[in-house]
Amino acid sequence: MSTIHCQSKPKGTEAKTEQSAYTDDILKIKYITKGNAKFKRTPGGFVSLEFEGKFYSRVSVYRAFPFTNPDSFISIRQPDEKAEEIGIIRSLNELDKETAEIIREQLNIRYFTPEIKKIIDIKDEYGYAYFDVLTDRGACRFTIRMNTSSVIRLSETRILIVDIDGNRFEIPDITKLSAAELKKLDLFI
Amino acid sequence: MVLDTTNTVNLPKNLIEQLEGYGISADSIFISALADMNLDCQYEPCYIIVCKDKLVMALGTTKKRETHIYGKHRDSSKLFQSYQWAVKIFDLNKYDSLDIQPLISGGVLFGVKDENPVSLVAFSGSQMGDFRRLVNVYNKLAKNEELTDEDLKPEDDDIFCPKCGAIYPDRARKICPKCMDRRSVFFRMLAYFKPYTGKIVVMMLCYLGAAGLNLVWPYLNGTVLYDKVFGKNEEFLRFVGLPAGKFTVLLAAVVLSMVITKFIGQVLGIIQGVMTAKIVPDVVKTIKSQVFDSMGRLSINFFTSRQTGSLMTRVLDDANFITGFFIDGLPYFFINVLTIISTCTVLVMINWKLAIASLILLPLLTFVSYKLLPRLWHYYGKRHRASRSLYGQLNDNLTGARVVKAFGQEDREIKRFERYNSQMRDAELSLVGFDNRFYALYSAVQNIASFIVWGFGSIIVLYTGDLEVGMLISFAGYVTQLNGPLDFMSHIFRWWAESANSAQRIFEIIDSHPEVAERDNPVHMPEIKGKIKINNMTFGYEPNKPVLKNIDLEIKPGELLGIVGRSGAGKSTLVNLISRLYDPDEGDIYIDDVNIKDMSFKDLRRSVAMVSQETYIFMGTVAENIAYSNPDATPEQIVAAAIAASAHDFICKMPDGYDTIIGSSGRELSGGERQRISIARAILANPKILILDEATASVDTETERAIQRSLDRLVKGRTTISIAHRLSTLANADRLVVLDEGRITECGTHEELIKLEGTYYKLVQLQKEALTIRGISEEDI
Repeated sequence: MSTIHCQSKPKGTEAKTEQSAYTDDILKIKYITKGNAKFKRTPGGFVSLEFEGKFYSRVSVYRAFPFTNPDSFISIRQPDEKAEEIGIIRSLNELDKETAEIIREQLNIRYFTPEIKKIIDIKDEYGYAYFDVLTDRGACRFTIRMNTSSVIRLSETRILIVDIDGNRFEIPDITKLSAAELKKLDLFI
Repeated sequence: MVLDTTNTVNLPKNLIEQLEGYGISADSIFISALADMNLDCQYEPCYIIVCKDKLVMALGTTKKRETHIYGKHRDSSKLFQSYQWAVKIFDLNKYDSLDIQPLISGGVLFGVKDENPVSLVAFSGSQMGDFRRLVNVYNKLAKNEELTDEDLKPEDDDIFCPKCGAIYPDRARKICPKCMDRRSVFFRMLAYFKPYTGKIVVMMLCYLGAAGLNLVWPYLNGTVLYDKVFGKNEEFLRFVGLPAGKFTVLLAAVVLSMVITKFIGQVLGIIQGVMTAKIVPDVVKTIKSQVFDSMGRLSINFFTSRQTGSLMTRVLDDANFITGFFIDGLPYFFINVLTIISTCTVLVMINWKLAIASLILLPLLTFVSYKLLPRLWHYYGKRHRASRSLYGQLNDNLTGARVVKAFGQEDREIKRFERYNSQMRDAELSLVGFDNRFYALYSAVQNIASFIVWGFGSIIVLYTGDLEVGMLISFAGYVTQLNGPLDFMSHIFRWWAESANSAQRIFEIIDSHPEVAERDNPVHMPEIKGKIKINNMTFGYEPNKPVLKNIDLEIKPGELLGIVGRSGAGKSTLVNLISRLYDPDEGDIYIDDVNIKDMSFKDLRRSVAMVSQETYIFMGTVAENIAYSNPDATPEQIVAAAIAASAHDFICKMPDGYDTIIGSSGRELSGGERQRISIARAILANPKILILDEATASVDTETERAIQRSLDRLVKGRTTISIAHRLSTLANADRLVVLDEGRITECGTHEELIKLEGTYYKLVQLQKEALTIRGISEEDI
């Protein structure tokens, strides 16, 4: 049965080539480079993009590896809910300085994560921990849940803290904390 | 319509005054939100205010920057009282609409004018809800749409404890652990022990007896033994009524009474233990059954909004914990208070100077354990976490052994294991280290205390003669006896607070009302025809995030309706709503022209059966699992259902046939086998409305055909809704519905939809192409 089908379907094969071209297109990484794209700051404080003959009045920037490789594989996407990908920047270093700066501004705000410089106090009570810290953005206080994985170990020394509202804080190197601070943090690491 | 705006204004006083100066009165303000960052990612408060006809932005500036507080705060308006406000006022037509660009947490508020977006401010994740509502209000006003009270209602009206102003740690729970009414929780909990009053009284008497004996013991082995017997006290002989000189008899009598004291103490301990053993399991069982019973009544939302793990903890651990507190903690508390008071009294009576000297260090001991015990627990917790991740890693590895081997990653896994293993070792080491230090310190203080007693006491014995040796031994015995109760007192309050929290959690489940509830006088519909009508229905799992939008659909009795669409399009949600696992946010669903909200649960559940993509097998035999929907089914019916579901063959091939134990601890079934058992279950339920949610997704094509054939027979005379990715499954469907992003985009017969050349056509083309590669003809689909 199946052999007959195989031979007697030239129509299907045609369809296949046509479809494959479409699928192959999806399956390839579409790189945005210095040569084929033009990013611009909009007057409204966003970024527009001209790419492959199309003009996007506003685009969103996503990091593919926000922790391990923040400057590479920047996914440029549509700003709507579906967030379809327009293309990928392999590395910010491959762009010219000004463009890289424009993208970085957007990334900085999207991935806003204050760095904790000093732990003033951590109080744990009834399943919640109340942090009082000094960050690179100034002093702040936030609350985390104790039971779930609010404190994520990105590496041996690097820690990400997510508070009850999803706000993020980072300690880039816990070995730089003082012994007293480490003691306070000990519960979480 | 007069809108209630009283609750919406939460602005600093000086800002309100300033606004009034610009002619904006507080009650013309519809809504406001606090942007806590600026676009350069610096903390800077900026209030966005929407009034009847104005949009106001008030940027706060100050010389001295305050600590930034994440999360809402009841006094957030007071937080910025010392700020100066730079106010900008716009007309409402400044922007055609407002919108939010979401960030990883939080977002950027921007206005759109003539399709050009202009970013305004940024805010943290804590403010997202406020900004969503503000955007909604602004956009309605800009479009001249009518506002409702619903639009202006604060998202979480009461996220603060009204008493102390702290934010509730869990917004869904709305319970402030600090201020919760522990007394009412206490008395309610106490009610569980009421049936055991007799036993508890016996238990308390035992405790009291033991405490009394504890007072006697040091006296016997100290003062009586040394001073009266060894000290040959004739007066004492006369006192107990023995003839003079008979000290051997006295010694025997003292030893005997010491033995009796110990013996009674042991007996009391045993009785008390027996009583505890009788009461605790009973109470724990009662509480657990009550919790489980309430959980069964709750709607599915309760289970999805919480982690199953934490639910398990609640049912299992909380009940134990509380009962433990009530049986072990509470009686001990009274006994210990009594012991402390009586022992101290005795000490003072023996020798008040020595009493003061020896008691002076006791508070220090209590303080040491009060301060250090929590840290010790903390180390225990740490070791517990480390061992959990070690087990997790081990479990991961054993279950994924095939993948590890297939990719040749054994070495890396060993290294990974090594890491968790060392973490475990470190945790263990620091625990043991702290444990040692703790006990060293603790016993050091204890020893110093007893040195003081002995040293100071000896001086008194030697020089002043106020005290005899035996009395000193008794005294020292009493002082040692204080250690236990004081230690206990140091952590009883924490224990109490935690068990009150546990009790509160349990009551929360017992008291919670199901979101999807049966009406008081439900309509009974023993026999239904199977007509389904969905009327302009909107539903979302989270507010403002609709998964299904304005669904209108009518399904005729006996019709076979296929639903297709991308994953995440809302297909499963739609059928979940029809079986009333959730209630729609807007619109209604009717079965035979009766709103399903009015139908009795029993009739609804009997009329609608679902075979979903998640198959669940209960612990029990195959037969029991198939007959789950109808426990009275005869063996014949069970076999018939299994045959119809193509399950009969594989069941017969198992050594124990229909009596094979399956489920968590029983025989492992493959995905396809599980699915066929759940289909058999649905067939046996014999519902008028059958919902197949990817019911044949994990069986092979041949089996699917077999099941399909039996389903074909089964669907005759009943309404069937079938969701499938494999379009061939829907070959017999009378009508097809295409769902896309929560909307019905196409609806019609196979031919009609093909002619439309829309989404369905594309899907058919794609699957056809996939099949042609394998050499299967179009006609086979």
